[in-house]
Amino acid sequence: MNPLSSLPILSLLIWLPLAGGLGCLFLRPVRHASRWIALGTTGVVFALTLFLFITGSSKNGWLFFEDHAWISRFGIRYTLGMDGLSLLMTLLTAFLLIVAVLISWQVSPYPDFFFSLLLLIECGIMGVFLSLDLVLFYLFWEIMLIPMFFLIGVWGHARRLYAAVKFFLFTLAGSLLMLLALISLYLLHGQQTGDYSFALSALIHTQIPPNLAWWLYGSFFVAFAVKVPLVPVHTWLPDAHTEAPTAGSVILAGILLKTGVYGLIRFGFPLFPGPAHASLPILAVLALAGIFYAAWIAYAQNDAKRLIAYSSVAHLGFVILGLAAWNLTALEGSILQMVNHGITTGALFSMVGMIDQRAHTREIARLGGLWTRVPVLGAFFLFFSLASLGLPGLNNFTGEILILLGTFTTHPVWAALALGGVVFAAIYMLRLVQGVLWGPTKGDEPWTDLSGREALVLIPLAILVLWLGLHPSTFLEPVREPVQLLLQGSMFPSMPGGMP
Amino acid sequence: MIVPLSHILGFSSALFVMGLACVLARRDLIMILIGIEIMLNAVGLALVGASAFWQKVDGQIFVIFLMAMTSAEVAISLAMVVYLRRQKATLDADAYDGMKG
Amino acid sequence: MTDKTLFLIPLLPLLCGALNVLFGMRLPRQLSQAIAVGGVASSTVLTLVLWPLSAGAGTHVTLFTWLDSGTLHVPVEILFDPLSASMTLMVTGVSTLIHLYAIGYMHRDADYARFFALLNLFVFAMLTIVLADNLLLLFLGWEGVGFCSYALIGFWYREEKNASAGRKAFLVTRVGDVFLGIALLWLFKLFGTLSISGINAGASQLAPHILTLLVVLLLLGACGKSAQLPLMTWLPDAMAGPTPVSALIHAATMVTAGVYLLCRLFPLVSLSSTGLALISAVGAVTAFYAATCALAQREIKKVLAYSTMSQVGYMFLGVGTGAVAGSMFHLFTHAFFKALLFMGAGCIIHLCGEENDIFKMGGLRKKSPLVFWLFLAGALCLAGAPLSSGFFSKDGLLAAAYAHGTPFYLTIYILGAFTALLTAIYTFRLLYLVFGGTSRFTGDLHGLPKLMTWPLIPLALIALFSGVLNLPEIFGGHQWLDHLLHAAGSGESHPLSHMQEWTLAGIATALFAIGWAVAHWRYSRFTPAQEKKAVLFFLHGWQADRLVHATLITPFAFLSRLFWQGADLAVIDGILESLGQGCQSAGERLRTLTTGRVSSYLASLAWGLLLFMLFFLLQVVQG
Repeated sequence: MNPLSSLPILSLLIWLPLAGGLGCLFLRPVRHASRWIALGTTGVVFALTLFLFITGSSKNGWLFFEDHAWISRFGIRYTLGMDGLSLLMTLLTAFLLIVAVLISWQVSPYPDFFFSLLLLIECGIMGVFLSLDLVLFYLFWEIMLIPMFFLIGVWGHARRLYAAVKFFLFTLAGSLLMLLALISLYLLHGQQTGDYSFALSALIHTQIPPNLAWWLYGSFFVAFAVKVPLVPVHTWLPDAHTEAPTAGSVILAGILLKTGVYGLIRFGFPLFPGPAHASLPILAVLALAGIFYAAWIAYAQNDAKRLIAYSSVAHLGFVILGLAAWNLTALEGSILQMVNHGITTGALFSMVGMIDQRAHTREIARLGGLWTRVPVLGAFFLFFSLASLGLPGLNNFTGEILILLGTFTTHPVWAALALGGVVFAAIYMLRLVQGVLWGPTKGDEPWTDLSGREALVLIPLAILVLWLGLHPSTFLEPVREPVQLLLQGSMFPSMPGGMP
Repeated sequence: MIVPLSHILGFSSALFVMGLACVLARRDLIMILIGIEIMLNAVGLALVGASAFWQKVDGQIFVIFLMAMTSAEVAISLAMVVYLRRQKATLDADAYDGMKG
Repeated sequence: MTDKTLFLIPLLPLLCGALNVLFGMRLPRQLSQAIAVGGVASSTVLTLVLWPLSAGAGTHVTLFTWLDSGTLHVPVEILFDPLSASMTLMVTGVSTLIHLYAIGYMHRDADYARFFALLNLFVFAMLTIVLADNLLLLFLGWEGVGFCSYALIGFWYREEKNASAGRKAFLVTRVGDVFLGIALLWLFKLFGTLSISGINAGASQLAPHILTLLVVLLLLGACGKSAQLPLMTWLPDAMAGPTPVSALIHAATMVTAGVYLLCRLFPLVSLSSTGLALISAVGAVTAFYAATCALAQREIKKVLAYSTMSQVGYMFLGVGTGAVAGSMFHLFTHAFFKALLFMGAGCIIHLCGEENDIFKMGGLRKKSPLVFWLFLAGALCLAGAPLSSGFFSKDGLLAAAYAHGTPFYLTIYILGAFTALLTAIYTFRLLYLVFGGTSRFTGDLHGLPKLMTWPLIPLALIALFSGVLNLPEIFGGHQWLDHLLHAAGSGESHPLSHMQEWTLAGIATALFAIGWAVAHWRYSRFTPAQEKKAVLFFLHGWQADRLVHATLITPFAFLSRLFWQGADLAVIDGILESLGQGCQSAGERLRTLTTGRVSSYLASLAWGLLLFMLFFLLQVVQG
């Protein structure tokens, strides 16, 4: 056992960011304290997850587990657990949060509030990825939402209030349905067994009448579908991404969207296997619709950020397609693709932010010729764009090809259609690249090329792009066992000490 | 009981309706306040009567609280009336529609 | 020396490319160029040194596992067999010469580091295609060359036109890649592996209709990369790139990747006779189509581009007849003479001060005899002059089609032979317009850097005499390449009698002579062209671009706006917004209830009280 096993390490992952966030607020009088606190906190959290990843990724079962009574009156427990899937997701979260802190280094106004909100979001996301109690999960699910609302609403661009409210209403509408469903599930389970509990491990054994199961699954599904987002409940995303500050876009696209997919994998499928499996074709249709429809719309965009936002919807379509195929290769591909998308899209949003800082515009028609002005920045932009359009050897390709290979073995037509979406990806991505990088330069005031801090953000991202593209096994191995268990329908690996 | 409960209730309802009529019909703030006091006292009377009828002390304790509350309320509302009068030089209730939606 | 050294062949250019990517801008020009040339040259040397490993069934080496999931297992593995070894040697050799030429060509361009980095990366990707023994790895190279081609066509990106040409090349070839991708997915489903050797070994167990479909998918994939109908529109535009790029990517190597793919999977492809016929048909029709277009072109590089398309069509034709070795033979000779022609064209353009239009040239023979002789060597091979390499390779393919004897293949043969005539005509048209007559060119001739001419000399010699690689028996040869590539597989062979072979060779010679005569009659004296409708039709490649624009691009752009403005903003957001507005207007109406007047509140309170009383009264009455 490693020396950390005596520490409540999962709780640390969740509450450390919150403590850092409070620290940012308390140390407001000290100039620039907040950014260092934020960097330090996210750095420590990342170091923790990295340590867990290195030491724990080869183990089976729950790598870490915490369980305490919390509100025993209602059977609500404080249950946290980490398996390979959560491990990968927390790693991605911790990494992208550092990126988010670094790219908002000179944020204004109210840097202290900004950074404390960022850290609060990290607390919420970590909680979502680690909770195994439905109420706890729901709590963190909402905690993610509120700081994001303020991030968009206060530090956003021109139409920020509209975007923030839209984001809030969409997500809330979905999650309230989920709340209703989980309470009825709780009551149902309590009536059946006399054990009133919100624990996932207990609730998966509930015998749900088929009709009701459809309704409950539907409610969960809507909550997750809004977050993913699936067509046609995706329209909050372009607005939110476009209006959010750069860090907000990175977190939204990089992590928040994945919580939807994660929710489906962790809660939706295990709790309601019947309707979930029966509705896989619907899921596939929605995924394909996303791949094509969003890619199609992305082509028409003039705002670089909005284009990338729509491309996210298309990429998430691939992830969902992998879920719908429901076999080992496709599911592993989906999970890998979540990480991939987080990295490339995070990088692209950061880069659009950097370009925006220099050009004071994100409109493709008003950009152009960046390669002449800032060649290093241009090279990075090209690199991440290529990754995004799925060039083999870079990260998105590995995820997509796993999804497609897996899907083709069971549903050839879906996979063949989805492959056509790759052309669409090339169409809009190359339009973006051409509009931003090539062509004559517009304007002639000198720009500074990549600063040291910006390079510090982009170089690790670029290395990860290559790593995931050439040796994805590093990140695939931890999720193998959870995926196998998921496919077998037995959600929980055994844990020494037993489950509650 | 010397006085039957129905009489007490009848009297207190009559008192309540008179207070209500005063509140509804008058537009002067002072008169509205007086109406409210009458209504409160009507309720207090009913409570005392009921308390005596059921031989339970709860009602009377309640009335004591009610009186304490009423006096507090009167103190505040009269202060407000003075304040409002200074603002608009009138005590017509309809003149104060600052809460209009 | 272990077998793993083989991986150095593709990795050396990658390493040198990466060096130029990372540090190129900070390195002095000479060093950057030396790195680029060194990477490719050392690959060439390495290929020669390791040549013995390719003997027999070749050497198979695995480096590491790329993807591993469930039944999927994708190692990075290469196969160094005669087919891939000979292709590797051609690619690295020609690349080395073109890299040298590029040093001269780029001597005034400030962006040399980017150029050489991309060129090296291209060689890496191309070698990956050639050496990969795994379809997914091949796909990596396949898309990799696509990207390098994109970036190099748009190398002079400041002009929107160049960047758009690069984008077009990327997108059109990617359409082909999708079909290749589907074939790849399907093959994985059928075989549970993506190893090329494994697929070739197990191909015979497949049902015929599945085989045919697979071949069609592979063919479409090959068509995209090799600019065959119907995915050919990108190649003429690709000439916007620097000339070494045209020579390397769009003549010698990348465009032949489709042919190589079909040859590599020939054991699978050959099992479907329908598929083979289709390959032949596509090749022959493309050859004819491109030759007609080449007749009308005015830009020197576009003539060569269409002729490339046409010659690659011959290779497809050859694969369809089952002549793998013949196709590879033509691939090699074509690579040599077409690279030579392109580099010669680069010299000509440079001499004339970046003038592309052959109608504005003329009389260059006297002014630059060296370039003339070099270009002539390439042109003779292209036109199929007797005893030049192009003569043997093209004739071999046509003979293979003829030998099948079925009406279908006879039609193919006739189309191919007619195209050979057209080829001779447009080649000599080009020669006459550029070198013959008097100069129509205003301004002084520019000087040529030495590096732009001397790599052409060995290439010219190779181009002229590479016919000996596969000299037919009737000319006293041993068909060395046929024997070498025998293991790669070949279709049913239909031996021809020596008499028939002489006849076919005679026909080819006659066609060459007629073509020359026609060109001499028409173009030996320059007459300003009339812009006839027919000429314009051929000049614009049968209006294929306009067709694509009208049928695909315009609807695509229209739909993308429709989906955005119509569906996303109007319908989805519209519904939600009207929901929000409904709430708002309801609130607006309810708002009037809040009068702000105490008296109205009190009145409503009284009314409420009354209602309650009535309600209780009713309860009492009923109870």
